Amino acid sequence: MPDAPPAPIDAVRGLAVLAESPSTEHVGIGAALGLESVPTPAEYSDLFLFQLYPYASVYLGPEGMMGGVARERIAGFWHAVGLTPPAEPDHLAALLGLYASLIERVRSGGHVPADPTDGRSPRDPLEAESVLAAQAARALLDEHLAPWIFSWLERMEELASGVYATWASLLREVLAQEYRATRATSTDLQHLREAPPLPDPRSDGTAEFVAGLLAPVRSGVILTRADLAEIARRLDLGLRAGERRYALEHLLAQDPGRTLSALADEARRQSSAHQERAEWLGESAVFFEERARATAALCDELAERGVS
Amino acid sequence: MTIDELNRRVSAARDEVEARGETFYPGASRVHLAAFPPRERWNDWVELDSKSWPKRVEKRYMLVPTTCFNCESACGLLAYVDRDTLQVRKFEGNPEHPGSRGRNCAKGPATINQITDPDRILYPLRRAGARGEGKWEQVSWDEALDDIAGRIRACIEEERHEQVMYHVGRPGEDGYTTRMLAAWGVDGHNSHTNVCSSGSRAGHHWWMGMDRPSPDHANAKVILLVSSHLETGHYFNPHAQRIIEGKANGAKLIVLDTRLSNTATHADHWLSPYPGSEPAIFLAVANWMIQEGRYDREFVRRWWNWQEYMEAVHGEPGASFERFEEVLAGVYSTYTFEYAAGESGIDVEVLREIAKEISNAGTRLATYNWRSAGSGNLGGWQVARTMMLLSALLGSIATEGGTFPNSWNKFTPKPPRLPHQHPRRWNDVLWPDEYPLALMEMSFLMPYLMKDQDAFVDVYFTRVYNPVWTNPDGFSWIEMLTDESRIGQHIAMTPTWNETAYFADYVLPMGHSSERHDLTSYEQYDGQWIGFRQPVLRAARERLGEEIGDTRDVNPGEVWEENEFWIELTWRVDPDGTLGIRQFFESVENPGGKMTVDEYYGWIFENSVPGLPDAAAAEGVTPLEYMRRFGAFEVAQKVGRVHEQPVPDGELDDVRVDEAGRVFTAAPVPASSKAPGGTKIDPDEDGRRRVGVRVDGEILKGWPTPTGKLEFWSRTLHDWGWPELATPTYIKSHVHRQNLDSDQMPLITTFRVPVQIHTRSANAKWLDEIAHTNPLWLHPQDAERLGIAKTGDLVRVETEIGYFVLKAWITEGIRPGVAACSHHMGRWKPEGHQGQRIGMMTVALDQNGSDWALTRKKGGGPFESSDPDTLRVWWTDVGVHQNLTHPVHPDPISGMHCWHQAVRIQPAQPGDAFGDVSVDTAKSRAVYDKWLEMTRSASRHSPDGTRRPWWMLRPVRPERAAYDLPEPEPVGA
Repeated sequence: MPDAPPAPIDAVRGLAVLAESPSTEHVGIGAALGLESVPTPAEYSDLFLFQLYPYASVYLGPEGMMGGVARERIAGFWHAVGLTPPAEPDHLAALLGLYASLIERVRSGGHVPADPTDGRSPRDPLEAESVLAAQAARALLDEHLAPWIFSWLERMEELASGVYATWASLLREVLAQEYRATRATSTDLQHLREAPPLPDPRSDGTAEFVAGLLAPVRSGVILTRADLAEIARRLDLGLRAGERRYALEHLLAQDPGRTLSALADEARRQSSAHQERAEWLGESAVFFEERARATAALCDELAERGVS
Repeated sequence: MTIDELNRRVSAARDEVEARGETFYPGASRVHLAAFPPRERWNDWVELDSKSWPKRVEKRYMLVPTTCFNCESACGLLAYVDRDTLQVRKFEGNPEHPGSRGRNCAKGPATINQITDPDRILYPLRRAGARGEGKWEQVSWDEALDDIAGRIRACIEEERHEQVMYHVGRPGEDGYTTRMLAAWGVDGHNSHTNVCSSGSRAGHHWWMGMDRPSPDHANAKVILLVSSHLETGHYFNPHAQRIIEGKANGAKLIVLDTRLSNTATHADHWLSPYPGSEPAIFLAVANWMIQEGRYDREFVRRWWNWQEYMEAVHGEPGASFERFEEVLAGVYSTYTFEYAAGESGIDVEVLREIAKEISNAGTRLATYNWRSAGSGNLGGWQVARTMMLLSALLGSIATEGGTFPNSWNKFTPKPPRLPHQHPRRWNDVLWPDEYPLALMEMSFLMPYLMKDQDAFVDVYFTRVYNPVWTNPDGFSWIEMLTDESRIGQHIAMTPTWNETAYFADYVLPMGHSSERHDLTSYEQYDGQWIGFRQPVLRAARERLGEEIGDTRDVNPGEVWEENEFWIELTWRVDPDGTLGIRQFFESVENPGGKMTVDEYYGWIFENSVPGLPDAAAAEGVTPLEYMRRFGAFEVAQKVGRVHEQPVPDGELDDVRVDEAGRVFTAAPVPASSKAPGGTKIDPDEDGRRRVGVRVDGEILKGWPTPTGKLEFWSRTLHDWGWPELATPTYIKSHVHRQNLDSDQMPLITTFRVPVQIHTRSANAKWLDEIAHTNPLWLHPQDAERLGIAKTGDLVRVETEIGYFVLKAWITEGIRPGVAACSHHMGRWKPEGHQGQRIGMMTVALDQNGSDWALTRKKGGGPFESSDPDTLRVWWTDVGVHQNLTHPVHPDPISGMHCWHQAVRIQPAQPGDAFGDVSVDTAKSRAVYDKWLEMTRSASRHSPDGTRRPWWMLRPVRPERAAYDLPEPEPVGA
C-alpha cells in the first residue's frame, strides 16, 4: 500500500480554533491560514450561535438539539480512545482537536499505511498503537463528522460572507482530502441507523412534524433562521422573533400551502447537494439525500392536499 | 495553496510563536451557554414575554450586568431591562462572570422579588416615639445626613473616635467602607465574622498568614468538605459547579456532616461524626500518613517551619530533617483510628479507607471548611488547622487540584486617594483585652462588653445587618439597643425591615443588588477576577443618552446606594476640610470638588486593574464603560505556587538573611495596583523589610507568616499563652459527651436551608414559598426515647438560658443522639409595628426584669398588597427564632461564637405554643462569665506589652502605638 499523504495536523488544529468564539489568538492563526481578516464577535455570534450551531448532536440527534443521545455516543467515543470527554464533547472544535490528536498519535507511531486495516500485524507496540489511533481517527471522521460536516460547511459558505466563508471552504477541502485519503473502516453509522423518519403531521401532529423538520437527521435538511427569514421575505409573510420552531409554526399558520412548497423547494435543493456528495462520501450522503427527498415529497403532498 | 502548503504555513507560525514561549493554540473559548444571549446583542435583545403566555408577545430588553447581593459569592447577574418601560423584568446569570460563569442559584433570579417587594422601605424614616415603640416619621435625606454628620463630627472633634461604630453583615464589597473609616480615623469597623467564619479563618491564618481557603475543586482528585457546598455556603454556586466538574472528572468527594445534607447525598464517602470530633478524625488520618510515610517529604522539608519548632520545643537548634521526622512520628501517635472512632462514632475501617483515599490524592487534595463544625464547637478553629495539616503533609497547597490561600486568588484593586492615616485610638469594645488572638471583632459580645467597660457608642450604624435576630442572645441586644445611655443614635441602613431596625433612631433605605455600586473579588478557583455591582437602571438610561448624577433618581422611592451616601455624609462631617477627612472624598480631576462614584470606579478600572484598559480599548470603550457593559473582568488565571516564585532581583538590595532564613531587603516596596492589606511582618533592626525566605539557597517569596514558612508550630499561639495548642491538635468541644449531662444532647444550628441566606433573602416570595420553616431534626431512636410520636408534634428545646417550642421532623438523616435545627427562619415583627409581611410572624414581646418572652400572635398568611401574589401565600408556619435562646459561647482563642448547644428535648408542655421563646438574660450573663474564665488576656500574657500580635490580620489597622497596652493603673488608684 502507498503511504498516506502528510497529515495536516496543524491545519486542522488551526481551523478548529476558528470554530471557537474569537479571541486575540485568532489573529495569528487566521494569518497563518491566509484568511483575509479577523472574525468579529458579532460575526461569530450570528453564524455559530444563531444560524449554524457547531455541535454534532444538533445534526445527528433525533431531537435536532444539543445534547441527548448523540452527544452521549460521542462522549462514549472519547472514553473509548482513553480520554475524558470535555464539557462539550460534540463541539466542532473539540471534534477537530480530537481528530488532530489522533492523527498526531498515528504519526508518532512510525510507518502508517494508508489503510489501517490492511491485515498485516503491527511490528511493535508503538506501531500497534499507531494503527489503533488510525482506526480511531477514521471512525471519528466516518461516524461523528462526515455525516453532517460537509453539508454544514456548505451551508456556512452560503450564509457567511468574508472570513467564515473562506474558513468553511478551507475546512471542507481539508476534511474532504482526509476522507478520501484513507479507506473507511467497517463503520457502523449508529446515529443514522437509529434516527426515526420525519413525522407525518396527519398522523403525528403538527408539533411533531415541525420538530422533525428542524432535526436534520430526520428531515435531511438544515433549516437555519436565515432560511426561514428568506421564505418569509419571498412569500411576504410575517416572521416572528423567537426560536426557529416558533417562527416556522407561524409561517405555516399564515400560509401553509406556500410555506410547505417553499420548504419542499429547499429540501429538494439540499437533496441535490447530498446526491452530489454521495459519489465520494457514500452511505451517509445517500442517507441524507433520501431523507431530504422524502421531506420534499411529504411537503409537496401536504401542500397539494391543502393540509393546514 | 495546497493543503500541504497550508499545513506547513500553520506549523511554521506555530513554531515561531511557541519559540517565544507563547501559546499558539488557545484553550477552548467557545460560548458554552450557546442558548445565552451573546454579549454583542445585549443592548437590544428580543424575547417572548413569559407573563403573556400563552400569547406570544415579543419584548425588547437591554441586558445590564450587576452582581448578586444575597450571599457573599457575588455571582454575576444580568438584569433584563424592558426597553419600553425601563423597568427590570427579570434577572438571569451573567456568562461573562469568571466566578459564576452564567450560573446562579435560586437567590439570584429572586432578586426581582426583592426589588418589587411591596413592603420594602422606600423613604428615610426617623423614630417618632420611644426607641422600639414602632412610631416613625418620614424625613428628608438632608435632615438625616445633617443630624448624623453633626454627631460624627462632634465625636471626632472631641476625640471620641471610638464612639462611632459601623457594624456590617456580609459586606458584599471590597474596601470602600474600610477606606472610609480609615479616612475618618475611626477604629469602628465591626463585622459579623465572629458569628460566621472566624473559626475556619483562624485555623487557616495560623498556618499560612492568609485566612481563607480557595480549593481548586474542578481539578482535584479528592475533595474533602467540612461544609455543605453543594447547596449553601460561601461560595456555594461557584464552588458547587466546580465540585460537580471535579466529580465528573473522577474526583472522589468526602463529606463530613452530622446531617445527611444535600451535599452529603452526593458524596462518595459520607461521614456523620459526633459534633466536634472532626479534628480527631483528621489527626488520625495524619498520623496514619506519617507512620506509613505517605506524605511529601520534600514539601514538608522546604516549607514547614520545622527548624523553629525543633529549636523552641525540643531545644534542638540545627536538628536535621530526619530528626524532625522522628519527632513528628511521635507527635500524633496517640491519634489512632481506634481513638478517632471512639470520639467520632465512625467505624475504624471507614476511617482507614478515607485515609487511603486522601493520601492517594497527592497534590490534588482540595479541602474546604466554612462555618459547619468550625463554627459550632469550642476549639472549632482546629477543624481547619488539622484539615490543613493534611494538605501540608501532601504538599497540596497552591497546586492544581489543591487548595490555595485566598489572597492569591483574589484581586482587590487600589482605590484613588488612599488614606495614609490610621486610627490612633484602640477600640476596646471590639478588640477587648481578654481576646488578643481573636481573628475578628468580638461583635457578638457587645452587650456585655459595653456594660463591663461602661462604654457608650454615640453613632452606631447597622448596615444590612441584623444582630437582634442573627446573633446569640438577641434579648440582650434589645436591652442594649433600647438603653440610650449605651447607644446614642442607632442608624439602621437596610433595604427591608428587620428585627434590629425596630430599635433604631433612623432607618435609611438602601439598595438591593440592582440598585447600588460595589466592587467585589472572591477566591473561587485558581484565578483572580473583579465583579462590578451597579444600579442597572442608571446604566440603562445612561446608555440611552441620559446623564444620571444621583442614583436616587432611578431607584424606587428615595432608595439610595451606600457609596454616594457615604461621600455625602463625609462631606457633611468635614464640610470645610479642616478635619483632614474630606480630602479623601474629593475629586482627583477637579480638586476641591466632590468625588463621584463614576470617578471613583473609573479611576480604579483605569489605574489599578491590569489588562482591563487593554480589554476595554479592544472593545472601543473606556474601562468604566467596559465594566458597566460586561460586569466582570478576569485579571489572572493559573496563579500557581506564589511561595515558590523567586523574589525579583530588583527587590533585593542590601539583603540580610537571618538565622531562620528570613530575607530582609532595603529595597522599597514596588508599586502595586492592589490595595494594601494582609499581615504585617516587622522589619529587621535596621529597618529592612521582610521580602522572602531562603530555601535551599534560593530566595523565594514564601508565606506572609512570621517565619515566611507554613507554620506547623505557631510561635504566636505559644507566646501569647497557649503553648499546648501551638501545633495542630484536638480540643474537646463544649458539647463533647463528657461535658453533657445524661439528659442533654447536642443541637446543631449552623446550617442554612439551601435557598435562603439569613435575613437578607427574607423578602423574596419565591424563596419563602420554597423554604419557610425550620423544624427540629430528630432521629427515630431519639424520638421514641423522648416520647415524641410523629413528625409535626410540638417539642420544647431547653438551652442553658431558656427554651423554644417548635415542630419535630423525625428523620434518619441525622446521627442518633444529635438534634439539629437550621438557624434560618423564625423571622418576626412586634405587634403594632409596620414591617415585612412575607416570611414574618407577628409576636408579642414581654419583659419582666431579665425574663423575656416572645409569643407568636399571628403566623404568615395571605395579605393584600400591590403584588397579587401576596394573596396567594398559603403557608402560616415561618419557623421559630431559636437564636434568642442561645447564650454566647466565645472561643477563648479564635473569638468565634461556638454555636452548638447542649439541650434537653421533651414533648411540649401544657401551655406551650408553636414559636414560643423564653429566656432569662441574667442566665445569659452567667454563661458569658463562665466562658470568660477560659480566656488568657493580653494584659497577663502578652509577650511584648501589646494588645495583639502586630503581624496578624486586622481590618482598619490602627497605628502601631495604639497596639501598646495601657499602663496599669497604680494600686489603690
